[in-house]
Amino acid sequence: PTTSRSFYAGRRSKEEKKVFRKQLRASHTLLKHEGIRTTRQPTKSLVVANGGLGNGVSREELSAVLREMGAMENLVMPPHKPFAFVTYRCEEDATNAHTRLNGQKLLCAENSVVLYLSYVNSVAETLPQGLVLVEDFVSPEEEAQLLAAVDWSSAHEDVSAQKALKHRRVKHYGFEFRYDNNNVDKDKPLPACLPGECLPVLERCLRDGHINIMPDQLTINQYESGQGIPPHVDTHSAFEDTILSLSLGAKAVMEFRHPDGRVVAVVLPSRSLLVMKGESRYLWTHGITPRKFDLVPACESQSAALASPDVRTQSGLTLSKRGTRTSFTFRKIRHERCRCAFPSACDSQRTTSPSPASPPSLPCCRADAALLEEEYVHRVYDAIASHFSSTRHSPWPHVCQFLNLLAPGSVLADVGCGNGKYLGVNPELVAVGCDRSGALVQICADRGFHAFVSDALSVPLRTASCDACISIAVIHHFSTQERRLAAVRELVRLLKPGGQALVYVWAFEQEYNKQKSKYLKDHNRDSSPTQNSSKKTQEPHGEPDTQRHSYYPAEDKLSVHTNRTAFNSQDLLVPWHLKEGNNDTSGCSSAPVFHRYYHVFQQGELEQLCSQVAGVKVKSSYHDQGNWCVVLEKDPSLQMI
Amino acid sequence: MKLLTHNMLTSHVKGVTKGYPLLIKATEVKVNDVDFNPQFVCRMIPKLEWSALVEAADLLGHRQDLPSELVPDYEKNEDFLKKVHRALLEVEVIEGCLQCPESGREFPISRGIPNMLLNEDEV
Repeated sequence: PTTSRSFYAGRRSKEEKKVFRKQLRASHTLLKHEGIRTTRQPTKSLVVANGGLGNGVSREELSAVLREMGAMENLVMPPHKPFAFVTYRCEEDATNAHTRLNGQKLLCAENSVVLYLSYVNSVAETLPQGLVLVEDFVSPEEEAQLLAAVDWSSAHEDVSAQKALKHRRVKHYGFEFRYDNNNVDKDKPLPACLPGECLPVLERCLRDGHINIMPDQLTINQYESGQGIPPHVDTHSAFEDTILSLSLGAKAVMEFRHPDGRVVAVVLPSRSLLVMKGESRYLWTHGITPRKFDLVPACESQSAALASPDVRTQSGLTLSKRGTRTSFTFRKIRHERCRCAFPSACDSQRTTSPSPASPPSLPCCRADAALLEEEYVHRVYDAIASHFSSTRHSPWPHVCQFLNLLAPGSVLADVGCGNGKYLGVNPELVAVGCDRSGALVQICADRGFHAFVSDALSVPLRTASCDACISIAVIHHFSTQERRLAAVRELVRLLKPGGQALVYVWAFEQEYNKQKSKYLKDHNRDSSPTQNSSKKTQEPHGEPDTQRHSYYPAEDKLSVHTNRTAFNSQDLLVPWHLKEGNNDTSGCSSAPVFHRYYHVFQQGELEQLCSQVAGVKVKSSYHDQGNWCVVLEKDPSLQMI
Repeated sequence: MKLLTHNMLTSHVKGVTKGYPLLIKATEVKVNDVDFNPQFVCRMIPKLEWSALVEAADLLGHRQDLPSELVPDYEKNEDFLKKVHRALLEVEVIEGCLQCPESGREFPISRGIPNMLLNEDEV
């Protein structure tokens, strides 16, 4: 008995050692790539390596398991990262989770992962991309000087009106910002340029690399307790990328909101500098809720910058009475059109701002088509990118087959590559992807793929430069026959003579050869709106939706489709229920719904479309899980100039 | 944006006939560590516009004395292949822009991603 016991103990410790080694490796990776520090000492918070949205693990799946370990207070799942953070009410519960889950396999719908848990001292709920907060940027003396430099008496006559309306006070230097059109009069600079007291601060910003060019516009906002500013994005066409905001006099909490629903509350201590660039400047809105008290983290060891907007889920918070805060916002006037990667929020790149109170109709001209697609395709993908990506893991076998049959070293263009799902399938290929959505292309870049932002109708690659192209679930987003044809022509243009293109589009006929597609088959299973679709979703389908939407048969109005039912029209709006990024744990009834435009193809329609392109032959055509698919070959004997 | 991508990109502004290669204006460049696969690099070379690659690498300060013209028998020259690998797959422009050599139009590169979208009037 003694021998067998010690033998048994020896075997267990070997397993334990293996798990421990893997856990150490996970910790190292987290530190090296993500800057996350783990600790051996038990705390209330754990980082769950491999339990992230980037691993295909859904919030529902992970939180179900974590809740079993104890009183879970908060679960943070940063978009497309391979880890998550969990905070329990007490150390004991966290220790329980650590003991029982470390090294254990978690079976998810799409795959299975092995979780490695380590204690962390602080939960790094990441700031919006492009946002940097620098504390103690100016000294108390400089703060006093700057505040004294503002001459409120010479501000507009509106001052008294502002006070009466209990609005924050505002003063502009350099150029005036107009609140009627949210833009700047670039031809009429103000007589007063930036106060001299600001110069040392700006030079410090230059020296520290926050900006490359001196700002030429300053807006000073003074907020009394109880005053705020509604959420907004600073007009793209008015100002260049980097915006600097210096907080003086008192701290406040600024809330950043992403179109997909994520909210990040950032504490701006007095004398701190906030630098907004990129996504935090162009896509996230920022605002200050009019309040007399803010909720800020109580203890210093936690990430000082972040405050949770939801007091129910966060511990260690305290009330902080607001004082009078003055912000100095420095910006550089933009003189050309904005060309950011966030066209959905960009006034330069949107021709008009669409606000469809009534449902849209099928477009009759190019401009209308572009507007419809902007509102019901591009804006939506930018907003849902991370959720969308987390439901798009398994490359389809037939597409993989096409890719794997290509000769090593072949140049492949994936037009409409989305999250890059197919770019890594065959590592022997020289694969380049492009997509209209900057947010999705960012995910490709994060994964190490070659990708750029562009439209499928005009791809900036040379004619006949590709051995093969794929366009999977893309062309059905074009709202006119002409545009769909133009998209196919563009694909063919890229091909070398003899090259092949694979095109997949959503089929009107979801049932084929008496076989229901996966999309239809899952209808009965997904009867509850709280079901997570990542288990069952096959491209390009969305979330279950049991509510009947109104149907507009007359006047070519686009009908809203009921997910997971047969199509009753070829042109429709398909709902997407956003799941992740929503802190509401009570269910998804408040989840935002986005509508995407689709033209679903009838049998033979895709082939018919391709036959209108010269110099190209349909090599094969088939139905694959609710899609019509063709393989096109460019005439090998075509003479290229 | 890695130089492999740059080698493939061209200006597609309406009316432009000499839009390749795009001029690189980089304000931030990074060098990554990417696994070296000599066969992959070998197979890529004939697909490239060699002079465009050398020019771009030179501009970014990572030419590593790559020759202006391809030398014969490069397949067996591991040193050479390593340099090509570095220039094509490891050097990355994080911030900057790409300029159309004919029209002067600039396409921004932000967080390593070129935004090649054209406005309505340029298509």
